[in-house]
Amino acid sequence: MALHKLKDFHTPHSLDEALDFLGKNSEALVLAGGTFLHGLEARGLMSDVEVLLDIRKTASTVDVTDAALEIGATTTLARLLEVPQITDAPWAAALSDALSHPPVQIRNTATIGGCIAASCPFFDIPTALIALDAVAVVKGAGGERRLSLPELFGGLFTNTLEPGELITKVCIPRGQGKTASAFLKLETNANDLAIVNVAVCVVVDGAGTCTKVRVALGGGVAEFALRSPSAEKILLGSKLDAATLRAAGEAVVGDISPMSDHRASAAYRSAVARVLIRRALERAVARLT
Amino acid sequence: MKQMMNLEVNGETHELIVEKDATLRDVLRDQIGLIGPKRGCDSGGCGCCTVHIDGKAVYSCLCYALSYDGAKILTADGLSSGAALHPIQQAFIDAGAVQCGYCTCGMMMSAKQLLDECPHPDEEQIRHGLSGNLCRCTGYAKIVEAIKLASERLAQ
Repeated sequence: MALHKLKDFHTPHSLDEALDFLGKNSEALVLAGGTFLHGLEARGLMSDVEVLLDIRKTASTVDVTDAALEIGATTTLARLLEVPQITDAPWAAALSDALSHPPVQIRNTATIGGCIAASCPFFDIPTALIALDAVAVVKGAGGERRLSLPELFGGLFTNTLEPGELITKVCIPRGQGKTASAFLKLETNANDLAIVNVAVCVVVDGAGTCTKVRVALGGGVAEFALRSPSAEKILLGSKLDAATLRAAGEAVVGDISPMSDHRASAAYRSAVARVLIRRALERAVARLT
Repeated sequence: MKQMMNLEVNGETHELIVEKDATLRDVLRDQIGLIGPKRGCDSGGCGCCTVHIDGKAVYSCLCYALSYDGAKILTADGLSSGAALHPIQQAFIDAGAVQCGYCTCGMMMSAKQLLDECPHPDEEQIRHGLSGNLCRCTGYAKIVEAIKLASERLAQ
């Protein structure tokens, strides 16, 4: 118990109620699954919080349309693994790969909205979502806006939401044609955050030429998960042959600013990022059918 | 500051007055007096506080109690029926899967979630199902054996 100033723990049952409350109490801290907040609390970083707004019961529907997966922000990671359009589709494989990493206790609690709002560079799901061009739907008194994840991530543990705003949905456009993706993670043990994680998504035409590509990295390669424009430039228009995949892996190093911490040094993160990108690309290419 | 809430814990209803920032684990241990959920890392890294909320394994150290007003909680304390141990508990004893014992209650709750969803897991599935629980004695081989044994007994 370390929220010494906590006065109110508010648990609305609808999104409208939550938004109304947040509009009037913009200092409230939004709580979804809570797995990340407790980590901050344990480190004494939440001692000034006076109001918690628990939105867990407000936005957990999953709508599948022809164009996109529209996932309520408080949908748990476990629920995502019950969506066949995620688990059985090569285009979404990066997300199902990433979902296999968190232990069951986290999957049952953590939410898709919470894991991006945290803007934590060590999480797995955001890296996969960047590769899939996911968009955060954000609501507040000023209406609704849609933010790509790079737009949402403001810095280490800091997002770009305005006071009174919260994430209501995460929309993932469904891959069309020959599209496949993959996610890989290097970790010290099965229940640790990433040293480096990577996700890639490739689209090819009938001739096997790459017509669209996303290369994303996380896990302490920067203050937040990001894309690698240099690697994407090398891959776009190529035939995704072995030499090109290797060159793309080498190119990511110029786009990242890895940190050194108790898990790994910056030099080690750069070294493994190269390899993981190449392997993830190989994995995605093997999934193209 | 405090607030009222209700929990059904191991089949018994509890009306509680809890601190607003209390974790579920602290309410279960300090207010209800259970000893199944242990205090380990406080940050979702060790698994010894694992309980089930509405049938799903969670880290009770990462849950504010007030988020789960009205929920059904199962802890390792509630696995047995009177003197009769749950097959998972008996299997942990018979396989010698308990060393210092601190991780055991959490391991059993993760094992229960695994066996509820996947009654006949192979070794890889067992290890994956336990990936959120650490044994500092590193006695994993016997724990995996215990869950195989429990799986066989539950099928009978």
